Amino acid sequence: MTQVFLAAILGILFMIGTYLVLRRDVVRVVWGISIISQSANVYLVTMGGFDGLAPILSGHGGGGPAPSDPIVQALVLTAIVIGFGTTALALVLTYRVYEEHGTIDMYELGGSR
Amino acid sequence: MSTLVIAPLLVALVTAILTLLTRPSDLLQRTVSLLGGVGYLVAVAALFDAVILPLGGESTTLVYQVSNWAAPFGITLVADALSVFMLALASFVSLLVLVYSVASIDAFGQRLSYHPLYHFMLVGVTGSFLTGDIFNLFVWFEVMLMSSYILVLFYSGREHTRAALNYVVLNLIGSAVMLIAIGGLYSTTGTLNMAHMAQLLSNPEPHNVAVLPVLGLSAVLFSVFALKAGLAPFQFWVPAAYRAAPSPVTAMLAGVVKKVGVYAIIRLYFTIFAAASIDLSFLGISGDSFLGFFGPVMFAMAAVSIILGGIGAVGRDDVDGILAYSSISQVGFIVLPLAVAATAPSETVRDLGVTAALVYAFNHGLAKSLLFLASGTIQDVVGSDRLSDLGGLADRAPVLAAGFLLGALTLIGVPPLSGFFGKFLVFQAAAKAFAAGAAGAGLALAVALAGAILTIAYYTRAWNAVFWGRPSDAVNAALPDRWSVGGGDVAMTDGGSGGLKRLELTTQVTVVVALAIAAIGFGIGFEALFATADAAAHAALDTNGYIDAVMHGPGVGLESGGGHA
Repeated sequence: MTQVFLAAILGILFMIGTYLVLRRDVVRVVWGISIISQSANVYLVTMGGFDGLAPILSGHGGGGPAPSDPIVQALVLTAIVIGFGTTALALVLTYRVYEEHGTIDMYELGGSR
Repeated sequence: MSTLVIAPLLVALVTAILTLLTRPSDLLQRTVSLLGGVGYLVAVAALFDAVILPLGGESTTLVYQVSNWAAPFGITLVADALSVFMLALASFVSLLVLVYSVASIDAFGQRLSYHPLYHFMLVGVTGSFLTGDIFNLFVWFEVMLMSSYILVLFYSGREHTRAALNYVVLNLIGSAVMLIAIGGLYSTTGTLNMAHMAQLLSNPEPHNVAVLPVLGLSAVLFSVFALKAGLAPFQFWVPAAYRAAPSPVTAMLAGVVKKVGVYAIIRLYFTIFAAASIDLSFLGISGDSFLGFFGPVMFAMAAVSIILGGIGAVGRDDVDGILAYSSISQVGFIVLPLAVAATAPSETVRDLGVTAALVYAFNHGLAKSLLFLASGTIQDVVGSDRLSDLGGLADRAPVLAAGFLLGALTLIGVPPLSGFFGKFLVFQAAAKAFAAGAAGAGLALAVALAGAILTIAYYTRAWNAVFWGRPSDAVNAALPDRWSVGGGDVAMTDGGSGGLKRLELTTQVTVVVALAIAAIGFGIGFEALFATADAAAHAALDTNGYIDAVMHGPGVGLESGGGHA
């Protein structure tokens, strides 16, 4: 059940992220990327499954259900740190773009030239 | 188990940190940076020596299990002939580009953390080549990309911020997609170790591995690598980003960083996923391997890249633009033999295809960085790289012109140069596949031919406009007299972008000439390059050897996989 619920949530998150990435406002684009990368993290956790205890709790006091997969959590931790770094960079870059061009509107920034 | 595997990684990392610490002193920082570049070359040479020599003989695979955690539980670093081949290219090009950038980046820029960023980018590249763990591949990609974001943004002017914005946004989305594909692969196969994944895929039933989702997820992953390699339809970020970055950075991006995408494609799709067998008839494709599916995909991407990049380059009116579009086209040329190899009917053709791709990648690394550096030098001297502002440079800077000509001829593929053999092998692979009756091989030949003609067209155009003819006003103003390396008869006047010293320009031209000499050298001594590339191709296609080398540790049972040998 949790999986289905999370799958639906993930779908909505990706939808919101995609919508924001396609906006004209650069800040919203950065928001969109941020949301997409966070949903990728949630997706990673979901991939580990939910059929166990937190790894640190299981096995203490004997017995107990099997632990959840701790690897995905380690992966997500790494991905979150990278995500923070890149989001910070994207925000600073937005500010620089505003300084250089006086606008953060994608249309006014123009094409590839 | 060999600690030698981490040597290049450590050297690059230590250099990056030392250049951060020595920022207060310009001279010290540059010295440390250059020494680090040399050290990196030495470390790679040692690794190369341990893995590939004797030439033409059997290559070995060195494995380093980080903290002694045996695969698949720990993080594994693997140096096989393929990784080492790519590392050799990276170390050679990066050292020369570093020498160039010490001369060409102004003092303020160098103080502004150019060197740490450069070496951190190298750390990311090295890690991507060496890692045996698919999640770590993502992490190393990020290390590489984060440095490259700042390097593209380096001058931080109008054009640069806009190009960097596109580059950053695109790669951040790419990273998210890569993470999703890796998460999915972990969920379906239950492992992140590439060798273990190959082992499980070769024998999926006992481990409850569903092969079909792996095909889908690997296709998602493929789009990310295609984005990194700048393959159509993910090529659109290339021209703007290449124009925005400082010329030595562009040389590195085109010469080395792009090759990481190519390497990842070869490693994952020819070594790892090739272990799986799957019935593809539901897609209307004959074949039972992932490669049967990716072959046509690669072919379509390569063909579109070659044609699109070629036509784009013919239409540009600035040297950097021509080179950037040419880069798209040339990556197509690298992937085209891979597509032939993927759908190849026989082992020999497959081997030849991968070898051709590697040789071509090597030549492209040399020649394209040469051309970008030459273009950067032209910009430094004349102050413009627009074709309309240039002309007659062959008369004024004959050494630089000779370097550019050799670079262009390498990519066109003229015999004594190493580029000839690259192109020759691409055609040979396609022709052999054609002779063996492989579907689409004729089309591959036609595309390669069209691409080769386009290459000649745009380099001829660039050469004519920049180097031949009457010197333009801008050239006359910057170089009123003949100027060449090694004490030409007339001292160069300070012109163009102003204040550039003779010594610095001489260094820049020397690097260009050194790369040109390398292109000739590898052409004349092609036997050695071919033997190395052949060993690398063998390593890339030897799935079982890769599995054996990595999984041969305590507590891990070896299963004989069903992958192709």
